[in-house]
Amino acid sequence: MNLNPFWSMSTNTSRKPRSDNEEQSGHGEQRASPARMPFGRKQLPPIPKNAAPITKPSPMGTPIQSANGTHASYGPFYLEYSLLAEFTLVIKQKLPGIYVQPSYKSALMWFGVIFIRHGLYQDGVFKFTVYIPDNYPDGECPKLVFDIPVFHPLVDPVSGELDVRRAFTKWRRNHNHIWQVLMYARTVFYKINTTDPLNPEAAVLYEKDVQLFKSKVVDSVKLCNSHLFDQPKIDDPYAISFSPWNPAVHEEAKDRMFTYKRRPEDHHKASQASGLSWVKPGSTQPFSKEDNPPQS
Amino acid sequence: MCDPVTMMASVVASGNRDGQSLVLKGVDPETCMIVFKNHWAQVVKILEKHDPLRSSSALSSLSVINLTAGSSGSSRFGPIPGDEANAVQNYVEHMLFLLMEEESGQAGAMGPILEFVVMENVMERLFVWSLRREFTDDMKLEQLKMYEMLVGQARQPLLHHKPILRPLMMLLSSCSSTTAPAVEAELVLLLNQLCYVLAKDPSILELFFHTSEDQGATNFLIFSLLIPFIHREGTVGQQARDALLLIMSLSAENERVAKHIAENTFFCPVLATGLSGLYSSLPTKLEVPNEEWHCLHKEDWLQMPSLIQFLNSLEFCNAVIQVAHPDIRDQLVSYIYNGFLVPVLAPALHKVTLEEVMTTTAYLDLFLRSVTEPALLQTFLSFILLHRHENVHILDTLVSRINTPFQLGIVSLALFRTLIGLYCEDVMLQLVLRYLIPCNHMMLSQRRVVRERDCYSASAAKILALTPSCCSPDRSPPPLRQLDSILFSKGGETPDNSGNTEEEMSFSEENDGSGNSCTIGSEIYLDVSYLHYLYDARLSISSCIRACRVWSAPYDGEDPPPEKYQPGVLEEPGLTSRHPQIALKKAQHPFASQAGSCVLSGTDPLPVNQLELEWDDSYDACPVQTADAPAESRPPPPPPAEPPKHIQEMRRTARMLVKGSYIEENDFQDDVMVYDLIAKKDSGNVERTSKPSSSQTEETKPGSADIPLKNGLNLTLPGSAIVDNSRNSLDAKANGQTDCNANLQNTTAVALGDDLLAQYEELIRTLDPEAGGKQVKADREVKKPITPVEVVEEDEMDFASFSAETPEPEKLHSPFGTINRFRSGSATKNHSLPFTGPFISVLLSRLENMLSNSLHVNLLLTGILAQLAAYPQPLLRSFLLNTNLVFQPTVRSLYQVLAIVKNQIEELAASKKDFTELITAAQHCLMAREPSFIETDKSGGSSGSNHHEGGRILKNSPPPKPKAISLERTEVFATILFTEFLKELAAIAQEHSILSYIPMEE
Repeated sequence: MNLNPFWSMSTNTSRKPRSDNEEQSGHGEQRASPARMPFGRKQLPPIPKNAAPITKPSPMGTPIQSANGTHASYGPFYLEYSLLAEFTLVIKQKLPGIYVQPSYKSALMWFGVIFIRHGLYQDGVFKFTVYIPDNYPDGECPKLVFDIPVFHPLVDPVSGELDVRRAFTKWRRNHNHIWQVLMYARTVFYKINTTDPLNPEAAVLYEKDVQLFKSKVVDSVKLCNSHLFDQPKIDDPYAISFSPWNPAVHEEAKDRMFTYKRRPEDHHKASQASGLSWVKPGSTQPFSKEDNPPQS
Repeated sequence: MCDPVTMMASVVASGNRDGQSLVLKGVDPETCMIVFKNHWAQVVKILEKHDPLRSSSALSSLSVINLTAGSSGSSRFGPIPGDEANAVQNYVEHMLFLLMEEESGQAGAMGPILEFVVMENVMERLFVWSLRREFTDDMKLEQLKMYEMLVGQARQPLLHHKPILRPLMMLLSSCSSTTAPAVEAELVLLLNQLCYVLAKDPSILELFFHTSEDQGATNFLIFSLLIPFIHREGTVGQQARDALLLIMSLSAENERVAKHIAENTFFCPVLATGLSGLYSSLPTKLEVPNEEWHCLHKEDWLQMPSLIQFLNSLEFCNAVIQVAHPDIRDQLVSYIYNGFLVPVLAPALHKVTLEEVMTTTAYLDLFLRSVTEPALLQTFLSFILLHRHENVHILDTLVSRINTPFQLGIVSLALFRTLIGLYCEDVMLQLVLRYLIPCNHMMLSQRRVVRERDCYSASAAKILALTPSCCSPDRSPPPLRQLDSILFSKGGETPDNSGNTEEEMSFSEENDGSGNSCTIGSEIYLDVSYLHYLYDARLSISSCIRACRVWSAPYDGEDPPPEKYQPGVLEEPGLTSRHPQIALKKAQHPFASQAGSCVLSGTDPLPVNQLELEWDDSYDACPVQTADAPAESRPPPPPPAEPPKHIQEMRRTARMLVKGSYIEENDFQDDVMVYDLIAKKDSGNVERTSKPSSSQTEETKPGSADIPLKNGLNLTLPGSAIVDNSRNSLDAKANGQTDCNANLQNTTAVALGDDLLAQYEELIRTLDPEAGGKQVKADREVKKPITPVEVVEEDEMDFASFSAETPEPEKLHSPFGTINRFRSGSATKNHSLPFTGPFISVLLSRLENMLSNSLHVNLLLTGILAQLAAYPQPLLRSFLLNTNLVFQPTVRSLYQVLAIVKNQIEELAASKKDFTELITAAQHCLMAREPSFIETDKSGGSSGSNHHEGGRILKNSPPPKPKAISLERTEVFATILFTEFLKELAAIAQEHSILSYIPMEE
């Protein structure tokens, strides 16, 4: 069982958006993760089993005053929902070539992958992880770390961390959102910036010897892509992992992707089931529709 | 050759219909044919022997067919000896059995026996034979059974053949006036079977029409015969309704059937007036089992036969509307509106005593929960939303009653829970949304905030911060709370790792070397119940979002545009014309429009405001209206109009219902006569010399002649104002508030145009003199008309003082201020003064008194508010849940009221030493109630809402209760409920921040 019912909430909540994501990135994502089904189905446990042993008097050790200044007990709920809200914003943005999903274990850690479709880094497929500070949204800007340090002036050649902070010097709640970080991560591969580099070598080469820079980039892209099928760096049921095309596994998902478009109409009809309305569009008078009873 | 036949005889005689096919299996069809012919020859012998024509009497031709028992016919020719009659009977049984068992010939051709039957006109001659004898009930029964067997069990289609169909129709028509229960039962059974045959093979339908059409009448006898049984109890009624439903679904396919039913029969009026009749026999006062009681659950109404019967008929209407042709549907819906809701239910909702009104409200709630068909629901809803009774919208009256301190208040709340649970745009528009559309309730700069999303759960946090300190999860948790805590911790360090060691291990090493950590918080104990609230909130919001997809607009502060619908624009327009278009649409039902225009043109419109004040604040302020104005001040009523045709029809129908045996007077009688004529003519043909005789017509006529043409109806009741000035008849329970309640009842009826209604009511009352008597008496009391003039002026002055620039100080925005007196909706309604509508006002004012409300009132109240809060429309959501939205000073928000209640609780807790202890006791008490709550909820299966009160109470099972606490301690229970309600609202706010922004799929 899930240790922490909290996560199962988030799992549950973000399921729909994620499945949308999966279908977009049909060829990429590992679908056969054995952990997937049981976790995905999870609902709120009626009473968490693991709560029973913990009936010892609560060590009210660090009553966290959350950023909102209210009850400590609810702080984690606020954080959780803030992150979920961020995630739904990401989905709404439909960022080209970027896919993310929160980890199974913590809503503060998101797995992602970015596909570069043209430019110097064309054909690059870079996996990354986003780390969100636990005092979000009042803390620092989230971190974005590539699994393999890409050769890029703004990417740390050792840790793989992207210099996000230059774009978000001060993280402002309500103004800054995680999708902007992801967007930024995409932009850096199309528009190279060399000031204050984390990788001075790359910066210098880009300025002085673009040809060499380009070939280094090509090597780096090749390197990244050669590790594409590696096991995910972080062991997590929701970590993004790639596998070679296998019709038995992927064909069905692909088909579903391509038939997806037709479905909305179908359940548009089905969804008429419960609600009622006889208001003519554009009117605020009840029973203003010309043809009264909408027949099912 | 005799063997199979004797066997058959015994089978028929014993009524055993099983295994017959086995009996004849293997018997040579030719043999059967020979037997059949033999029997027929024997029968014919007897028939001819007693044939008056053959006996060559000169007088005989006068009455071949003699239906009238004991009339001259039989005596003239002498009785038929019993042994001969029996012999015929025996032969016939055998013959029928052979016919029944015969397979059809090749390629659907007639089998030889059937062919013989058709050629020889066997059935008709047998029918005539039975007419020849005394046509007693026994005889009818015998014949009906005969056909019932044939129709039900024949192996080849028989009804396509006129020589079989025609005598059947004659038989049916001759049974039309029957009253013997046994005959009725058999008749309905046969009709039911015929309908099944029709449903299977609609081609026969044409034949049913044609048989009569040949004779110049268009009729559908089967249908007409079933109508009187619509409202019957028991099996007969059920079979009749089943049969009618079959015809209704036929009508959906068959234009002609639909047209006939809608235009030539009284099906729809009978159904609708029947509802009225059945309603009048319902108890006018319900025995309320306990104070908690707020709506009629199944186990309640199962104890009430009259209510069961009413619901059966309502369910039948529902079913008819579901399957019937649109013409029939529209007609029925219109009759229900004009024949039941307006003339019966509306006055019932305005009866004299609180108990009666409460009872009607509970009925209405039950009806709304029972109706499923959108068209019928629409009828009920447009009645509630748009109909004005005595110039006040039913809705306004119902809303104002929420604030009554009696059982009526609780029952009204339950009704609104049902209404809100319908997810109906029209309802929500009238109740709440139309007051929010102009966006006047907030500061202008705030409009953009309406659609803003609460990304960081700021509103939830603010709501939860209102948790009273005595209930805070942080401080001195009650022993219960620990059970409800879960550990929210850094992954791997949890003590319990049974079952998922692997994950925890991996989780604890999730540091990826870069020093990044991703744990949320440290060890904190969380309130598990909050997870349940989140889960429930998720369910209710997503189902609400799904349901609201059919709505016409998002109500997000932009669509509909606020500028376009400023108050005054939004208020009244179209109200007059909006009157049920269902009725107006149909030219054939002029009643509604006529009544409507009477009201408009005939009298000065009464001051709406005065009337709408009904029951608002009635228990703390009693502005008694005087009703002493001279009667002359009223404009003289125009002369009463000729009752519309529609009403005359209704009256006639109702009259026939009164009589107990419904007969469609003209058409139907025509039909019967046609069949008589056929019978005579045909028998004449067969017998060569028969002359038309009037015997059968005489037989059927008395039935119609008995119908009283005058039923004490006075068509020329003067249209005068009636004031239901019955302050003396108030119930003892309302003693303390007598004058207030009298005031409530002190409304003016516009009786002009009502006289039609009055007559109709009268009629309905005559159906049940006992129940109606009182009402009649009440109405007959001399009533003093009241002059509206004075009131109008008073109100206008009142309005003038309500200018926007000078808001009354006590209404100023102050979350912790003194209790604002609830302002009745009508006072502000017509002004641009920001106002969120009477419904919200009344809910908030009841919420403000939470501490003195009983537990059940609070459960209902918070349930309704939670359900409202689950609606996804940004206007509503932001109004109820967004704590950052800045409202106009005069607008009260949910948050403000919650803050007031919190303050009250804090004061209380500070002043009472044992408050914490009481709370613990009350928590135990509530949790002990939980299981019973859930059971009631299941078995009741009642409300359309998915909200169950049990859900708000902590789910863990408690240790044995330490101390009993009386439910009288409302403030203690309210405190607990308040705390839970905060969680519920916060959970809803949080889920909104996610759900309302996800493009919904599946």
